[in-house]
Amino acid sequence: MKKVAVKLGIDSEDLASCVSCGLCLPHCPTYRVTQEESASPRGRIALMRQAESTGLIDQTFVDFMDACIQCRGCETACPAGVPFGSMMETTREALTQQTSYQSWWRRWGYRVLGCPNILTIGSRALAVLQRLKLLPSKLALPKIPLMQAPLVPSGEDVWLFTGCVMDVWMRDTHRATQRVIEAAGAGVRFPDKKAACCGALHVHAGLGEEARRLARRTMSAFPGDAPILVDSAGCGAQMKEYGHLLNTSDAHKFSQRVLDVHEWLVNHLDELPAAHANPPRIAIQDPCHLRHVQQAHDPVRVVLARYADPVILDDEGLCCGAGGAYSALYPDTAAAVRERKIESINRAQVHEVASANPGCLLHLQAGGVRVRHPLEIVDDLMRKDI
Amino acid sequence: MVPPSADKPLLDDLQTLLGDRARAEDFELGLYGKDGSVLEGRPAIVCLPINSEEVRCIVNICGDHKRPFIARGSGTGLSGGAVPVGDPVVIATAKMNRIIEVDLDNRIAWVEPGVLNLDLSTQLKGLGFHFAPDPSSQQVCSIGGNVANNSGGPHCLAYGVTSAHVAAIEVVLPDGSITVLGDLTAEPSGYDLRGLFIGSEGTMGVATKIAVRLTQNPPEVRTLLLDFSDVRDGAAAVSAIIAQGLIPAALEMMDHRAIEVVEAFVNAGYPTEADAVLLVELDGLAGGVENGVEVVRRVAEAHHVGEVRLAADEAERALLWKGRKNAFGAVARIKPDYYLHDTVVPRGKLVEVLEKVYRIADAHNLIAINVFHAGDGNLHPILAYDSREPGVLERVHAAGRAIITASIEAGGVLSGEHGIGLEKRDYMGMLFTEHDMATQDLVREAFDPEGLANPLKILPSGSRCSDSFGQHVPEGAWV
Repeated sequence: MKKVAVKLGIDSEDLASCVSCGLCLPHCPTYRVTQEESASPRGRIALMRQAESTGLIDQTFVDFMDACIQCRGCETACPAGVPFGSMMETTREALTQQTSYQSWWRRWGYRVLGCPNILTIGSRALAVLQRLKLLPSKLALPKIPLMQAPLVPSGEDVWLFTGCVMDVWMRDTHRATQRVIEAAGAGVRFPDKKAACCGALHVHAGLGEEARRLARRTMSAFPGDAPILVDSAGCGAQMKEYGHLLNTSDAHKFSQRVLDVHEWLVNHLDELPAAHANPPRIAIQDPCHLRHVQQAHDPVRVVLARYADPVILDDEGLCCGAGGAYSALYPDTAAAVRERKIESINRAQVHEVASANPGCLLHLQAGGVRVRHPLEIVDDLMRKDI
Repeated sequence: MVPPSADKPLLDDLQTLLGDRARAEDFELGLYGKDGSVLEGRPAIVCLPINSEEVRCIVNICGDHKRPFIARGSGTGLSGGAVPVGDPVVIATAKMNRIIEVDLDNRIAWVEPGVLNLDLSTQLKGLGFHFAPDPSSQQVCSIGGNVANNSGGPHCLAYGVTSAHVAAIEVVLPDGSITVLGDLTAEPSGYDLRGLFIGSEGTMGVATKIAVRLTQNPPEVRTLLLDFSDVRDGAAAVSAIIAQGLIPAALEMMDHRAIEVVEAFVNAGYPTEADAVLLVELDGLAGGVENGVEVVRRVAEAHHVGEVRLAADEAERALLWKGRKNAFGAVARIKPDYYLHDTVVPRGKLVEVLEKVYRIADAHNLIAINVFHAGDGNLHPILAYDSREPGVLERVHAAGRAIITASIEAGGVLSGEHGIGLEKRDYMGMLFTEHDMATQDLVREAFDPEGLANPLKILPSGSRCSDSFGQHVPEGAWV
């Protein structure tokens, strides 16, 4: 196979920090469904070492790197603290810059995420096609809204980040989040279009330049010192890493203002309406970027526990297979990974699942799971009279 | 190395059988060259079979081409047993991961070799059973690998190692035939070929189905963490606990450095000031367990224990064990490489040998970290180092040899549970006479006359023609 010269530029200390013990393997969704070394974190690091030591790669290397979901479950499992996520991001950025790794259509797709007007028009077109039954059902898309009323600010205590696809397809989730924040006594403010996309998917794809541009643009949309609350685990994880991404004092300060909305809510629980006597059993699916990256999955349990009986899934936070754009790029692997999650949900014997990330929500819904955002469930239950 | 063109006919045959599950791409071959040890080799071809029949055909094809083959499970072995030397075909059994049958009447489960150790126990949890051998790597190591190495684990102190928990094995023998060794009766007749196969590290064939015995989950479990300001007190307490007639389910020790790296990973409240801790687990009926806790507490107090911490609930218990079971990987927080030994010494000599280990490490300017199965005297001295430092490997090997010598002089053996593999093969002469090894080689030859099943492992090459054991690692493997 044809080899080309590439310099990945991964920190040599990071590369050396993996002792190949293999304890990450069972926590890696792609290893779990393939049982192949090349689809494991240990294998991917060994591949990075091979590439760095020879300075050469081929298409198999690119394919192996591209097949990682970047859930970072391996980081939680790793006793040596290997920073796998940033090594993979560095690898992909080097591949993007030095090879034809990201095709034009993929680059175009990522670019659209940062353009709210095109996204809205595109989404409306899809909504029309969907209603005319012209979209293939195997795409398993949710019901796409034709028109959405704008979000109405209610004060200046906290910001609520709205994002790209989530705002276009799931604005009602933002409304539910807003109602819960308001019930906790705070007024909510929304950013303008400069905050149209956090750039998470761009970092994952190795489009570093674009990601940094979107990060700077997003930061400019949140003046002042008010906390920036995020109801999408993937976006929150990314915005908390702006400091690392841009390495400026402004970016570090910005990242410190970012909170997953549940992290904020746990400190305002007492202001919410009283709890119920017969809480429904709800299973919690921990989004990887909440559990493994932000390590902020506990607050979801605490918030939900006020109105429901949360059930922890028994799969130790294994990824559901959504992975941002992953489920679109690798539908078969993503569905196989989801199958394991569904088995775990079935063992939990619940009627409904809560997931605090839009990507996971859509992916699980497409797999037939009854799932909502935790704050949609809370909004519903706290307003119910009993 | 054999030039790739010489592999072409072999690869063609294997691909006819397996399609794209027979691989020879450059980047992928590199991924099957290592296990959890520091040794590295390179396969000629990697095969990923999904059932016994495919394994049988692969072995037959290898026989036709006179090419060695090596079975590989999860690649977490610690002695280079699955490291490919001699341009072999690697048979990776990871895709053979079905639990075929669970027979609670006979307390047997038939499983494929790629089933992960902990997955089996997790699946059985609802039924109230588990698979007793629990190596520290149990979340990822495979049952096939446990059979190959006759693996142990913390709870083997009371429950016995893998051999005590496997009733029968379906194996593909090196001549390409398939047979079952052992049976499900309590007292099988004839030679115990099952017992011979367990621990043979793939030199007698490939296990393709395993009948494991299931152990009932104990009704009551208590876990204690004892800390000592002197490692010698801790080691003496180990012998004293067992001298009381108490066999804990597990009795583990960690020294100061091990506690530090483990605590940095798990945040379980391990006492980072302590010189050593003992992790003691008691299980069984409630009354007996409570009595055991008091015995342990009394003995520990007589040995100047600091705090006696009793895990309050299952979550705390799990967290303490998570620390112990991740200790080897956590060593990377000190240095990026480690060389792990596995000698066993009589319990009464623990203090003496431990002190020698620290002195040897100091003398070779290395860091020694001790995390081990104290109850059965199975030491796991870890020499932490950075392979990028020039000349460090020579010091690591010299220190390793000195540790092994000290253990054997104390009446111990080379390996408790990690296997001999490639790594300790050349030390076999320190424990066995040439005549002993030649006899062992005859047994191996009875199974594998062509010498194709994981060659160059366990016994020094040419055990039967009095070769010297000078060369540490065979050609083709590097560290």
